[in-house]
Amino acid sequence: MIRTAIKGLTANRLRMALTGLSIVLGVAFVAGSFVFTDTINARFETLFTDVYAGVDATVRPDQTLAADEAYLDESLLAEVQGIENVAVAVGSVAGFAQMIDAEGEPIGGQGPPTLGFSWVNEPALNSLIISDENGRPPKAADEVAIDVATANSQGLSVGNEIDIQTIGGIDTFTIVGLANFGTEDNLAGATLSAFEISRAQELFDMEGRFSAIDILAVDGVEPDDLVEEMSTVLPATAEVVTGEQQTQEVLDDVTDGLGFLSTALLAFAGVAVFVGAFVIQNTFRITVAQRVRELALLRAVGATGSQVVRLVLIEATFIAVLASAVGVLAGIGVAGGIKAAMAAAGFGLPEGPLTVEVRTVVVSMAVGIIVTLFSAVLPARRASSIPPVAAMSETTARTTPRSLRMRTIVGSALAGVGALAMTAGLLLENGASLVLVATGAVGLFMGLSTLAPLVAGPVARVLSVPMRGITGKLAKENTVRQPRRTASTASALMIGVALVAFTSIFAASIKASVTDTLEGSFPADLAFASTNFTTGVSPNAITALENQEEFSVVSAVSAGNFEVDDVELNVAGIDPDTVLRVYDFGPSIDLADLGNGLLVDENTLESSGWAVGDSVDVVYRGSDTVPTEIVGTYTDSTFANYVIAEDVFVENLSDDQIMIAFTRLADGVTLEEGQAAAETALAEFPNVDVNTKSDQIAEAEAQVDQMVALFTGLLGLALVIALLGIANTLALSIVERTREIGLLRAVGMSRPQVRRMVRWEAIITATFGALLGVLIGSLIGFGVVTSLADDGLGSFALPHTQLIMWLGLSVVAGLIASIGPARKAARLDVLQAISYE
Amino acid sequence: MTIAPEKVRTGIAAHMEGGLKTYGTGGTEIRALDGIDVGFEKERFTAIMGPSGSGKSTLLHTLAGLDSLDGGSAYIGEVELGSLNDRKLTMLRRERLGFIFQAFNLIPTLSAEENITLPISIAGGTPDSEWFEEVVAILGLSDRLDHRPSELSGGEQQRVAAARALVSRPEIIFADEPSGNLDSKSGTELLDFMRTAVRELGQTIVMVTHDPMAASYADRVVFLADGKVVGQMDEPTTDSVIDHMKTLGA
Repeated sequence: MIRTAIKGLTANRLRMALTGLSIVLGVAFVAGSFVFTDTINARFETLFTDVYAGVDATVRPDQTLAADEAYLDESLLAEVQGIENVAVAVGSVAGFAQMIDAEGEPIGGQGPPTLGFSWVNEPALNSLIISDENGRPPKAADEVAIDVATANSQGLSVGNEIDIQTIGGIDTFTIVGLANFGTEDNLAGATLSAFEISRAQELFDMEGRFSAIDILAVDGVEPDDLVEEMSTVLPATAEVVTGEQQTQEVLDDVTDGLGFLSTALLAFAGVAVFVGAFVIQNTFRITVAQRVRELALLRAVGATGSQVVRLVLIEATFIAVLASAVGVLAGIGVAGGIKAAMAAAGFGLPEGPLTVEVRTVVVSMAVGIIVTLFSAVLPARRASSIPPVAAMSETTARTTPRSLRMRTIVGSALAGVGALAMTAGLLLENGASLVLVATGAVGLFMGLSTLAPLVAGPVARVLSVPMRGITGKLAKENTVRQPRRTASTASALMIGVALVAFTSIFAASIKASVTDTLEGSFPADLAFASTNFTTGVSPNAITALENQEEFSVVSAVSAGNFEVDDVELNVAGIDPDTVLRVYDFGPSIDLADLGNGLLVDENTLESSGWAVGDSVDVVYRGSDTVPTEIVGTYTDSTFANYVIAEDVFVENLSDDQIMIAFTRLADGVTLEEGQAAAETALAEFPNVDVNTKSDQIAEAEAQVDQMVALFTGLLGLALVIALLGIANTLALSIVERTREIGLLRAVGMSRPQVRRMVRWEAIITATFGALLGVLIGSLIGFGVVTSLADDGLGSFALPHTQLIMWLGLSVVAGLIASIGPARKAARLDVLQAISYE
Repeated sequence: MTIAPEKVRTGIAAHMEGGLKTYGTGGTEIRALDGIDVGFEKERFTAIMGPSGSGKSTLLHTLAGLDSLDGGSAYIGEVELGSLNDRKLTMLRRERLGFIFQAFNLIPTLSAEENITLPISIAGGTPDSEWFEEVVAILGLSDRLDHRPSELSGGEQQRVAAARALVSRPEIIFADEPSGNLDSKSGTELLDFMRTAVRELGQTIVMVTHDPMAASYADRVVFLADGKVVGQMDEPTTDSVIDHMKTLGA
């Protein structure tokens, strides 16, 4: 059997290659996401382990303290140094430090953080290294060392001056050294600046305080023992951990931050594998149908049904193993590509080889092989039911249509359960929901593609109405008379298009919701927001704005976290006196009555089971429990689901967490004058952006567009696989119809006519798949958007133009997929049709 | 010896001069046509006979423009086929030739009627309905027109193929073992009809067969062996054909 299978494979290299390609693409993404994740982990682990190798232990503030209480008193250093087994102890501070270029624009910070440190004079405890040719450490108050990567990108060198913004404002420093982070030029794209210790304390508002104390143990003392010894000595506000643990925590933070990429990659790998499964199944189905006589002959000469099944499965295994192996190699390439793309986008990952774990190879290969075999099982079983007598019949038996009842029942059940699971997943608000949604979507797609043959005939009939002449007629008959083939060929495309359509609809709805919110509830003329995620708008910037007479009102919104009944939640702080003049979030009470009370978004209130007037237990960071009364509700939860007054926020959380501020222009002031005034007021605060309302809408839309572009690009992969499937099916169906096409040629059909016939067939199939895809994508989109209405997705938008464009593109792509098969058909040897073996 | 006298040349529907066709190379080379000269008169029913491998199918294919010669020339009327490209050959087949094959004559997705009018549809024309009715009536297919090939018997399928060959009024119909797959009753009916088409409708038919009974329906039989014409016979009967075949050692 194995020998027969190998012979069959080598005789059909093209068929094998096309089937294999769909496996390769799916497996490549599975392997790629593993390699990428492993590489990130391994490289950062190496880097951090190397950088922190000398640190035996670290004393740091108790992690549960509020931000403004999280510091170590300077006096603690002497105490630590006094401990017997401590050889060296150095205090350090860290904070926000934004470098500013010659044009006054912030450097970096569009994602990666902008970090400032104090210079540590003990090399074993310092993660930064300044090599001899790169200058020296900062020693005076106006000196700074910056990371090599930033220096290179900005063309800065030792001796240059640079403006750096910290909490206090902007100061000018002289660059005295260029530092490496371990062996790297910077830390994953973050900008680094290091100052002399007392200056750093001043800049970061940490006079008399440290962020951490790093320790070298006396030789021969185990870090674990030291930590145990020290923890009994330290005050309650401080804690001590080993260097190893500290490294692990930093590493976890970094990999968590990059984890979303791995998750996204795995999701797309799933889509690719799923679509690929349809293509594989279809290919095997057709090849089995084509080889009815060959397989029947095997049966006639004594092969059992299960031997025939084994033959098909052995073939599938060969293709699967080979294609999966290629896929793993391609996946390593994919990971390298992503790494390069991230470096180009400013998120440089540490240098070093890609990490290929055994697990990656095993899992990826297993996915490829299992999916392929699973897809080949049904066709193989059909092969075993071929009667030996089929070998003797003259014409290829066209399978008689079996009852569609079973198909209807199974398909409806799958689709129904899938839809239910999706709905349930969307309505649930916990971790399991995403899995439920994904599983539901898979079930829904499988159900619908099981049902697709039911409508394939009638729909193909309608689609072929505009097709004229005998070529159109023949194309129509080929698609209408083989609804199963048409539907299963179209299924792969259907899924791809459905996902793309869903993404378009989801994005359009987000945009529409954002626009509605901005236009509906923001009477403000200008908004001010920080350009980076790590720091807010400085309170001094707000004061500067208030001093401008062009503005009639300035109101800031702060954002932070607190705990309600032991659950950590986002909370916004608003100024009750001014907020409604710039941002109408629809409070149910007069804000003058807010006081120390809490406002809860009305949907949240409803789902939590509280009522206005209830008292809840609030814990601000590190504070005691504060019983707080829910005094009212509000409708617009753009910023948070909980709102407290600004003075309560500042008192309990922080005064520098202003997320956004708004102004109204004074009477008679134009928008341009207002913008100019804002620019003047904010000259000292380059990390604050001035936005008009249309800027804000455009910015929000641009962010959504960026995400959509990424998703569409990756979903494009699924479309490519689907098109491979169409090309594959067409090519195979042409082989199957060799005699038919030869006959047509003999009685006078020209080559262009043959090509036209194949093209029509591709167009009907592609249009069918794309139409179904757009329809299903729209339905899912509608369901998801409606069920997320409570989470701020208020408006459902159907991007007609885009959907029509996708439809058009699919048809064009179908045409492209038909080029090869059409040419093959036109070149077919006429004599083959009329010769009898 | 088989080329008709000069004065009758205008009555020749198709002929071949020095036709040469080889398959394979070196030791395995087979001369399917070995410098063959042969002609087929208009409005006559000619059968080509010969043992397996005598080149009779190759003769039919090269003469019908389905395959090309390695040497010599093939003519339909006065048109030399070797000078035509694929497009012109296709047009020639579509407009001037008809075909009946042994099997797989019909497009499974089209009805009998659509199969009959297929060459006309391909050419983008409309069938002459009077002629269509006549052909269909003679072949006894009037009540089978809406059926698909899978719903027709073998004999009916071949009669549909014959109707297709006739309905576009070709100059010449090439038939390749048309009755080869039929039971004797259906075969006889079909051959009878082919003879009628020649005698009463003025058609020209060239038929390849290895069945002496089928050959006996023809006006003339041309015998082939090893790629050459080795004899011919006018007004053949089954017995005379069998006798002649014996002399060829087949």
